[in-house]
Amino acid sequence: MSSTPPILKEYGDSAVMVTVDSPDAGFRRRRIVQLRDAFCSHRPHGVTDIVSGLESFLVAFDPLVTGPEHLAPVLRLVDRVATEAENAGGRVLDVPIVFGGHAGPDLAAVALELGLSEEEVVEALVGHELTIVLLAAAMAPMMSGVTLPRPVARQAQPRTNVPAGSVMIAGDNAIIQPFPGPTGWRVVGWTPLGIVDISADPPIRFAAGDRLRLRVIGTVEAADTAGILLGEASCG
Amino acid sequence: MAEHLLTVSRVGWRATFTDLGRRDTEISGVPTGGAADQHSATVANILVGNSRDATLVETIGDFGFVPSAPVLVAVTGASSTVTVNGGHADAWSTLVVPAGQEVAVTHTRAGLRTYVAVGGQLVAPRFMGSTSPDPRMGFAQLISSGQAIRLAHPSPLPGLRGMGATPFLFDVPRLDLAAGPWILDVVPAAEHDLVPEVHSLLAESSYTVKPQSDHVGLRLDGPVVHVRGPEIVSHGVPIGAVEIPHADDELIVLGRYRTLTAGYPIVGVVARSDLPLLAQLAVGQAVRFRWTSRRDAVAREQARAAGLAALEKNVTDAFGAVVKQIGVDWWL
Repeated sequence: MSSTPPILKEYGDSAVMVTVDSPDAGFRRRRIVQLRDAFCSHRPHGVTDIVSGLESFLVAFDPLVTGPEHLAPVLRLVDRVATEAENAGGRVLDVPIVFGGHAGPDLAAVALELGLSEEEVVEALVGHELTIVLLAAAMAPMMSGVTLPRPVARQAQPRTNVPAGSVMIAGDNAIIQPFPGPTGWRVVGWTPLGIVDISADPPIRFAAGDRLRLRVIGTVEAADTAGILLGEASCG
Repeated sequence: MAEHLLTVSRVGWRATFTDLGRRDTEISGVPTGGAADQHSATVANILVGNSRDATLVETIGDFGFVPSAPVLVAVTGASSTVTVNGGHADAWSTLVVPAGQEVAVTHTRAGLRTYVAVGGQLVAPRFMGSTSPDPRMGFAQLISSGQAIRLAHPSPLPGLRGMGATPFLFDVPRLDLAAGPWILDVVPAAEHDLVPEVHSLLAESSYTVKPQSDHVGLRLDGPVVHVRGPEIVSHGVPIGAVEIPHADDELIVLGRYRTLTAGYPIVGVVARSDLPLLAQLAVGQAVRFRWTSRRDAVAREQARAAGLAALEKNVTDAFGAVVKQIGVDWWL
């Protein structure tokens, strides 16, 4: 439980930002997920959208229906009921990944930056489950739990077009690119799994709270999983 | 009832299907999107008797189509020339368009985006419950010249005998796209206090829309001040957020297709009642900001909502009266 209640700040006439006051970034990041999940299950009337940040969530609302004065008491209630249990129900998902080479053009540079070998970076990534903390742009799964010795710097010059399925790290987070496009993250590998299928309903088979177990594969094995969506088959 | 076909006769820069956007998808990383100018889109749909979030066409530049049967049409948004079969027709009005005659939108003079609604249901693919595009996810919804758009459940009104070209005269809440700099109300946001100088700077300066602007956001040329101090952890950004980027001397104002999170300080957010105007800012347009309180911003939004509700009631009453008078029992 947090010692101080969550903070609510106004962003214009139709949104408020919720944050946690703590000097411990790890605590802020864990607690905000619990608060967000609890807020979603006690969602007040008039709330139209919620945007997840790593240490915050933005609540968009219809100002003709509700406002900060109604949302603040809900948040205080949510702070009392939000517990670890709120996000403990996730599945464990298997993610086969080709690391390094053309599939992960930044792996060597990341290893150099951290003073590790490429193998040691890969071992750190596959050695622990990564938890999906939020869905980022275009439903990209963003994960916490990367246990490298130091946060990884972002790309100095963003890459303009990385393929869908690129497995990327920055800070102590990892993310998988659902569609081809630009990125400032460091590309260390690639999964042959599909991430988002816009012709399917729902378009994704994973959710925040799911835990990803990364697994090293070679380029030959990659062909076997082509066409399968991330989360279509769970493990563990 | 049979479907009608609308054959697209001209497309200028870009025409897409859209509606009022996706609901509650931002927690999944998909912006709500939808019509950039929600006010004009809503008015267009109301004027043809559709539900407010029915699918319609959003166009930048020219657009035209020829219906296979009589249809109800309304054109709203940017100030453009509207013609039916080459003759002048009114924008912000309910038009009865006979079969085989072209409705054309040309020569946009002020504003950027024009909305064309047709009484009935335009048949278009959906993604996450909405027909609005999401280009980032490969859902483009582009309309091209020659395309035949299906109109399901067409309104029976235009098929009735004795209907003139503009049989209704409604008091319509139009957008005010006046000459000179447009004034946008802006409500302070939490990071406003990180950059105290920005308050007077924004109030006193004039900005110009830069060419790099799009449905993701507007880039404005004009004076800015940069934030000193610690970097902001990337957080959610509301529609209409006024941001100052770290490096570039420009102001960013985010649209409905914004990237949902960013680490730039948000100094203010354009008032909800002025978001439609934001969507009409074309390259080169001059714009000024006026700080306002949340309370005043909500009051203006209430007035806007009341205008829409009044129009909706008038249209429903008028259409109902026509049906009653002529006695169309297949109206429902």
